[in-house]
Amino acid sequence: MISSLILSLKVLAVDVPLLLVIGTSLGWLLARRNFRGKEALNLLILLPVVLPPSVLGLYLLMLFGRLPFMRELGLLFSFPAAAIAPLFPSLPIMVQSARSGFASVDVGLEEAARTLGDGELAVFWRVSFPIAKRFLMAGLALASARALGDFGVTLMIAGNIPGRTQTLPLYIYSRVEALDLVGANMAAILLTGVGVMSLLLVRRMEGAHGRAS
Amino acid sequence: MEERLDARFLKKLGSFRLDVALTLGEEIGVIFGPSGAGKSQTLRVLAGLSKPDEGYIKLNGRTLADASKKISLPPKERRIGLVFQELSLFPHLTALENVAYGLKCSDRLEVAMEWLHMVRLDELSDRYPHQLSGGQRQRVALARALAPGPDLLLLDEPFNALDGPVRRALRRELKGLFNETKTPIIYVTHDIEDVCSMADRVFFIRDGELVTSIPVQSLWDPSVQGSTWHSLGWGTLIHGVIEERNGLYWIVWDGGRLALRPPVKVEGDATAFVAPHHVKLLYPDLPVDPELEDNVMEGVVAERVVFGGTTRLFVRACNLQWQVEFLNGSYATMELSEGQRVRMAVKPECIYILRSVPNPCTIDPCTEAQFERECKVPFSARRERRNGI
Repeated sequence: MISSLILSLKVLAVDVPLLLVIGTSLGWLLARRNFRGKEALNLLILLPVVLPPSVLGLYLLMLFGRLPFMRELGLLFSFPAAAIAPLFPSLPIMVQSARSGFASVDVGLEEAARTLGDGELAVFWRVSFPIAKRFLMAGLALASARALGDFGVTLMIAGNIPGRTQTLPLYIYSRVEALDLVGANMAAILLTGVGVMSLLLVRRMEGAHGRAS
Repeated sequence: MEERLDARFLKKLGSFRLDVALTLGEEIGVIFGPSGAGKSQTLRVLAGLSKPDEGYIKLNGRTLADASKKISLPPKERRIGLVFQELSLFPHLTALENVAYGLKCSDRLEVAMEWLHMVRLDELSDRYPHQLSGGQRQRVALARALAPGPDLLLLDEPFNALDGPVRRALRRELKGLFNETKTPIIYVTHDIEDVCSMADRVFFIRDGELVTSIPVQSLWDPSVQGSTWHSLGWGTLIHGVIEERNGLYWIVWDGGRLALRPPVKVEGDATAFVAPHHVKLLYPDLPVDPELEDNVMEGVVAERVVFGGTTRLFVRACNLQWQVEFLNGSYATMELSEGQRVRMAVKPECIYILRSVPNPCTIDPCTEAQFERECKVPFSARRERRNGI
């Protein structure tokens, strides 16, 4: 179990920063900019929510295995695949939170910052980001929990190779298959604990937000 | 007077056209006009939050925008402070941090503290905006806009949400700040009292067109009145005589009379102004508020104009054409079509007596006492420090 736990933590170490950066950027883009294909992008980001993980996994398998350039990278059934796979189902959660977070920032505040001498980057870091932060953190907590618990997409594109791609959810599956319920339960309790903690964190973020406004 | 701001531009917003020509020296200019005339848009274009389609904006000789040369400096390079109607204080920052926001120097917090001191909020520096009262928030917004030392300060109906005494106190505070910093100010309002108490120069705007400007002293000159007020086309002017009868003061004209709120310092010939939203229609079957009893008039609706959110009636009564404005949906049960007879009234305190010079506005006594109290709290003169920034 320890090797699976370590692997899951490594996946998180890669995914949390990626979720934060990509999710925040896409959320800001959708909330603050108008461009051609905005709705298409939004649909694309949301698609993993409604697709079965196996379908999503199949498409990714095709993408990474068939496309000439992608195929050469040799990502499939290795740690990089295990790290990338959870991003797809968890990114929509982060993007949605970030989008509502930035949409909640009064445009007048950003304009005020501009008249006080800020460029666009400074407006983002000094006004939009701090005000939307609670939404971003709540989204990140939920998205990270979802990434940690990913099963289907990881299984499809990274496989279930102990020590290489077998994350905690896959470990549980293998233990149950081997009728080792004790081992399965221990890992399950760990994941449940993380899930509950992330929900509590979200609750706190929302509570604090309610008080501040 | 030396010219600081020179702006002449055109901005199209859908079917609305904003056509502005204004120059301003080291003085307070007030843009005056009804709601929806383009006042806020004018400020947005000046501040750089919106680009003009044609024309130019020059401030202290610097070109901020010139459509023909495709120049439009971003707001951060314009050195123009803007106080928004909704104030837009940063909710995640304290009063002190809000004021320090636009300061780039190393001792920004100390400088911000001095500004808070100047608007008499030293003790509340660590409060967040939602912990401050309306008047205190206004002061923070003012200090925040002035702290970076802008070349021009724009105020968009800044005291709109405030009631009488606080509003007057803040107006005086703003004048005090102007006298100290000498930063030219453009102040947007649809309140006639703001105009006479603040302005050196008045710009009239109507239906997106800002062209006329006159010094405030000549605002009520009979020679000017006709043209400017007529061009503004807003409000009702009464030319009459002020008389004292039965212990009450009245303005009497050929066709009617209205009671004024004492004390009235003017006697003899005078001009009074009544804003359209201060004329109230009366329901035919309901008793009249005692306060209004002396000032009831009967008239005939000559025209009815429905705007976005308000309705304006032109009512012929007492030998004058009155403008009556109310929110759409008010008086829904009353028949207000053209030709209909209506009764209406004006509260005595809503009749502004205007004299040509030097102080055309009535100031009520409670405010005067308050003013004297406030004058004893001096604005600290620390210009050397600020100039060193």
